[in-house]
Amino acid sequence: MTADGSAGIIELADVTKLFRQGEISVEALRGVSVVVRKGEFLAITGPSGSGKTTLLAILGLLERPTTGSYRLVGEEMASLNETRRAHVRGKRIGFVFQAYNLLPRSTALENVELPLVYAGVSRGERSKRALDALGEVGLSQRALHRPSRLSGGEQQRVAIARALVIRPSVVLLDEPTGNLDSASAEQVLAILEQAHRGGATIVMVTHSTELAERASRNLRLADGLVGSDEPTARPYALGGAAG
Amino acid sequence: MTTFIEHWRIALGALRANWFRAVLTALGVVIGVASLVAVAAVSAGAQKEVQDSIRRLGANVVLVDGEFISIGTGQSASERTITPADVAAISQLPMVTAVAPHQDIESLTISAGRNQTTTRLFGVTPTYADIYNQAVQQGRLISAADVDFGRSVMVLGLDAQANLFPNGPAIGQTVRVGSHEFEVIGTQTRKGKLADENLDNRVFVPLPLVLRVLLGGPNTKSVGVRVRSEGEIEAAQDEISTLLRDQHNLPVSYADDFSTEDQAALVKEAQRATTTFRVLTFALGGIALLVGGIGIMNMMLVAGRERTREIGIRKSVGADPWTVQAQFLIEAVVLSSLGGLAGALAGIGATRLIGLLAGWETLIDPLSLLVAVSVALAVGLFFGFYPARRAARLDPAAALRYE
Repeated sequence: MTADGSAGIIELADVTKLFRQGEISVEALRGVSVVVRKGEFLAITGPSGSGKTTLLAILGLLERPTTGSYRLVGEEMASLNETRRAHVRGKRIGFVFQAYNLLPRSTALENVELPLVYAGVSRGERSKRALDALGEVGLSQRALHRPSRLSGGEQQRVAIARALVIRPSVVLLDEPTGNLDSASAEQVLAILEQAHRGGATIVMVTHSTELAERASRNLRLADGLVGSDEPTARPYALGGAAG
Repeated sequence: MTTFIEHWRIALGALRANWFRAVLTALGVVIGVASLVAVAAVSAGAQKEVQDSIRRLGANVVLVDGEFISIGTGQSASERTITPADVAAISQLPMVTAVAPHQDIESLTISAGRNQTTTRLFGVTPTYADIYNQAVQQGRLISAADVDFGRSVMVLGLDAQANLFPNGPAIGQTVRVGSHEFEVIGTQTRKGKLADENLDNRVFVPLPLVLRVLLGGPNTKSVGVRVRSEGEIEAAQDEISTLLRDQHNLPVSYADDFSTEDQAALVKEAQRATTTFRVLTFALGGIALLVGGIGIMNMMLVAGRERTREIGIRKSVGADPWTVQAQFLIEAVVLSSLGGLAGALAGIGATRLIGLLAGWETLIDPLSLLVAVSVALAVGLFFGFYPARRAARLDPAAALRYE
């Protein structure tokens, strides 16, 4: 529950993450609590090693917290087995990675269809929805191209289309513009802002303060703990945390 | 259902992307299955040949051979030591149900008009047909009357007939053996081969004609003796030996001037040696299949490693462990079943080739093809399971970090 009593899409309570590698163990998160409400655009910032990528991986069910509770749309995630977690990922979470992570042998369209394949959507509806999603990121003309024939910016837009095509509860982005030139980065951001205006809940990890300013709320991690958590100077009207 | 078809599409796509490696990997299974199919076919063919041979030799028949080669004894050698009295005495033995004295002349040239051929000529009685399963194709076989009256009649094997009368019917025609003329009264059904002899190149005449006209003297070289049951064959051989020594008044120090043999047993004995060989080949086929399976496992492990990132991506968009496992398992099974199918085809080809080159009889049992392909499929399932499971259990976060 949030301070004003409304339930969040993401409710993280006192989450820790301990990585063990042989003798050495690293405490990446040391007790993080955060609530993200519907329609928020949260930027997670912080220096290298502050735990922001680990936090995003936990939010995306790619990692399990060592202790603490994670509720996604009201459902406790900590106790789910790997199969259930995969299904929740496929249904509720759209990922965008810094390195795009498209399947190299598949076309843009097939890449966007992929989450729908695992969600069991029929073939006809799959390609229709995937084409729509590609249209939203301005790549209808490139649907049958393989990633190797697309620019970095185009690849990232395909990845965003893949994230949005399932209409996820939350879109998670890890340094989405880290590999892009400024023009491509601006295109990607414009698409994200558009999705946000359309009601999408977005959580983005970035080391760039400039990028973070485009979000509605900025969570700063330091040394595995929440350093600060504030609305940005230009929050969007939909942003719930602004108040 | 959608996802199941999708698994196949993904698996086939992955195989196509690395088709050369896939072909090389499947080759082990191809060779394994091909050798299993070929060995099974040769084995079944040999089995059939043995059964056919035994049928041709007659069941429960002891062959008494009156050819006596004298080495290191004072006895004189003879080609024909079996007298009509011997034959009569043997027929009185309790376990004996039929006797067929017969006399053959090997490599005898006979002619009809301008055609001539080299055959093996048999002098027989009607019992011969009975004991050795001789059946008539056209006309009739040697009858008791032919024997009693010493008629100059002849029954032809089908190849002998084809050689002598390539253009027309044989029955009623005349065949010359030296200066003697025989009238063809019938042909016998196709008999095939026994060891190296073409049984269809034999010709048959009444026994007295061979003995009196062609060779001279009443004795015969051979007697086929049918015994009541297989279990009594050895006892019959002993009884016949005792009887013939007695008949021939052989002193204790003298060797038998005859021999008895169980021909079916000889055939079976000869078969045993080749069986050992076949078991070895079968084992080699199995080993090839095992190696093929290990090859598949190796490839799938490599594929799992190469595609770690792909697995991470798939998992991040909702592929659960079962789906990933199914994808990899299907890939392995597709590889091994295609290998199995190709192997079955190659096995059929190899079998044909063996049959052609070695002249062995082969028999491809459809069931053996089914078994071979199923075994290949099982190999894929078995050796694909571990790599698939490994891929399925990859930690998605680590898989995505993998470079």
